[in-house]
Amino acid sequence: MSAQVGERSVVEAGRGSDSWLTRIGAFFRKEINELRRQPRLILSLVGGPLLVLGLFGAAFQNANPKLRTALVVPANGVQGVSEERLSQLIGLNFELVEVTSDRARAEELLREDQLDVVQIIPDNIVSSIAEGTNPTLEVESSAINPVTEGWVQYLAYALVNEINREILRTQTAQAQSEASGLQGRIAEARVKIGDLERDLSEVSIRQFQQITTDMLTILDRIEGALPANAVLGNTRVEAFRQHIQETRATLGRFEQALADGRVEDALAEVQRAQSDLTRLDDTIQIFVSIPPENIIAPVQSSYANLNRLGRAFDPVIYYAPGVVALLVQHTAVTLGALALVRERLMGALEVFRVAPVTLIQLLIGKYAAYTLFIVVVAAVLSLLLTLIGVPIFGSLLLFVLLIILLTLASLGVGFLISTVSNSDSQAIQLSMITLLVSIFFSGLFIALDSFARPALAVSFILPMTHGVAGLQNVMLRGLPPTSLSWLGLVLIAVVTFGLVLLLFSRQLKKA
Amino acid sequence: MTLAPEEYAFYMQGAGLEFAPGVGVFDLDMAIPKGTIVGMIGPSGCGKSTTVRLLLGLYKPTTGRVLTMGKAPTEFAPADRERIGYIPQQFVLYPNLSVAENIHFVSSLYGMPGPARRARLDELLEFVEMREARDRLGRQLSGGMQRRLMLAGALMHDPALLFADEPTAGIDPVLRDRFWEQFRKLRDEGRTLFVTTQIVSEAVYCDYVAVMRKGRLLAIDTPEGLRHSTLGGEFVDVTVDTPHVGPAMKALRRQSYVVKRKAKGGKREAAIDLLPDDTDETDTLRILVDNASARLPEVLNLLEEREVTIHSAGEHVPSYDEVFIKIMEDVKAPDEDVDNPAGEVAASAKGATA
Repeated sequence: MSAQVGERSVVEAGRGSDSWLTRIGAFFRKEINELRRQPRLILSLVGGPLLVLGLFGAAFQNANPKLRTALVVPANGVQGVSEERLSQLIGLNFELVEVTSDRARAEELLREDQLDVVQIIPDNIVSSIAEGTNPTLEVESSAINPVTEGWVQYLAYALVNEINREILRTQTAQAQSEASGLQGRIAEARVKIGDLERDLSEVSIRQFQQITTDMLTILDRIEGALPANAVLGNTRVEAFRQHIQETRATLGRFEQALADGRVEDALAEVQRAQSDLTRLDDTIQIFVSIPPENIIAPVQSSYANLNRLGRAFDPVIYYAPGVVALLVQHTAVTLGALALVRERLMGALEVFRVAPVTLIQLLIGKYAAYTLFIVVVAAVLSLLLTLIGVPIFGSLLLFVLLIILLTLASLGVGFLISTVSNSDSQAIQLSMITLLVSIFFSGLFIALDSFARPALAVSFILPMTHGVAGLQNVMLRGLPPTSLSWLGLVLIAVVTFGLVLLLFSRQLKKA
Repeated sequence: MTLAPEEYAFYMQGAGLEFAPGVGVFDLDMAIPKGTIVGMIGPSGCGKSTTVRLLLGLYKPTTGRVLTMGKAPTEFAPADRERIGYIPQQFVLYPNLSVAENIHFVSSLYGMPGPARRARLDELLEFVEMREARDRLGRQLSGGMQRRLMLAGALMHDPALLFADEPTAGIDPVLRDRFWEQFRKLRDEGRTLFVTTQIVSEAVYCDYVAVMRKGRLLAIDTPEGLRHSTLGGEFVDVTVDTPHVGPAMKALRRQSYVVKRKAKGGKREAAIDLLPDDTDETDTLRILVDNASARLPEVLNLLEEREVTIHSAGEHVPSYDEVFIKIMEDVKAPDEDVDNPAGEVAASAKGATA
């Protein structure tokens, strides 16, 4: 042992900025050494998310819930659409497990949770439409999950649209068929009208009356078969309907004039009818040549994904940036939350107070060590993710900067938890609550647009919100993080550091 | 030789810190020269750690004055703190760090640069006999090794002043002896040590012993001085034939060198106790005299003149446990015993400053 007590040579050798850095280094090395002695922690941090993502990728099939469905059809069959076609339509989004006419039984199964959805087809679809009323397809569910209920309602809406479309398509095809049949009659009528103009004899009049009566009947049927204007909104069909009505009116007046013996008037109407029939013939020609699909759905859609991939990513890839952000935040929050509370509980603060070390040195040392550790873990995890196909289209530098900033902001939250926790378990509990809040409010699984505006304040103070958005931009879109992402993380990091400094300095004075 | 307050290693004058009414430390007076070991003895919760914290500047006194190395410790600059080593009562050890890493950490807090740390580490490990355990993790150390590790950590930066708050608590007597041996080596190198303990027998290792109870300093003196002042003198044991006990006691009571003490009823009488032996033939007289070595021949001459048969005689040195118990019995806090106010003791303690 040295006998030169009080000369303080060993410490003086490290005076000044070196000494300042030495004290920061004390905490930095201590934390790094403690972390590297926990291989299970490192393994779980890197392997855990990979394993979860792998399982997710292997197990995930569809985001839509599988809805066990019973179809209740009228005892006398379905009108307007075939039962087979109806089953096909339902099968697009529902798992049709039963077709029955026993509504009560189906509802009982629903209540017993043996079914998820019961769909009841009305027994008078076509006749109700013809009568101007809207038949109702009843959809019942026993969902307790609000997301599932939302899906049921949405899919039921889509199904009704499909059924409506099918009914319209059938009706239109029927009208076209009827109209085709009318063309022959029109040609015959036009010949008869020509004869009538030339020879308005009794026989011709009777023949023509017969044709006129037949044509009026057919016109009525065609018009009846034509879907409502409001439903179709197709101008050609509207013109067709108008021509039918005009021709019918002309033929009606002609028939009336003949019946009244007003030959002059009848001749005038005959000429007008000739013109109407020619026009109607042309219109029918156009009407029957249009495919029913074009008539009932005149506007078609096309879709193209302009991202780098040309399509949406697989769920595993899409969620990968979020998982990286989640790992970074949760690790940082947990490490930070335990960092100060453990020092406090083991009585180290007293040693720190006696030593010539400042709170700033303590915090910088711990921040630096944890940041290095987490960035390395995140880098290794990201590297492994690239091996399973997760891209980083954007700048690697921005990626690293974002991870560092996300780590600093998350550490701030963790250290803040540490200052308000009285025990390890309390710190862990608060970390878990932070994790839970992050899962709901960070936009990882539920879009931020789904929340009321006040809740967005909660989202904003979560580092993960900005981390997820920023990492998705950098990794999947090849874009830099938005200004809001940078600003959010910087603000969280600065504010939490200030609060930790303030609160922890008070605790240190009481140590 | 009287020193100025700034020249003492520790100086307290009427220092006190009251956490709540009646709770804290009160009227602390001491002046400890540099290069000594001062041991503070007292039961758990008596205020030893609070006193240490006052001297370290962790607490600010509400009354009186505290100086450590000539400065108010609450105003210590980093350079002043670099001269202090501290072993807290609560053991601070990082279980996932090795012995060397734990020591490096503590010494780095004092700004000790890496090369200096590495150069000194082996020397310190040798000193605390832990060279073989250099790479062992903190969680793998026994209780005694943990204590030694803390000592090494506190000494790495070569402090002039070492505070050790109950460093020997919970360790076996052999290791305790080794600890005190190391403390004395450090003292011999010129360091000043302030050591608190609940183990009264450790007083013998100290240069000065301070006894605390309920936040008050009951006594502070050298170990011998404390024993003498507490007992009021020194004991001489004389074993005589049983039939001669009466005449012997009668003769001794009249001697001026036999210390008088207060008996029941307030009457003062010579401090002579009869200690019956196992046999029916002899008994031992324990006589409290002002100076045992000087008075023993006089006692023997007196008894021989009275033709008392003496079987054996010698000085009886009570253990510090007995001294401590005596202090505790004799001195009570002011609120406990108005007939024996602590103020009187405090005054004696003040007078006993080293």
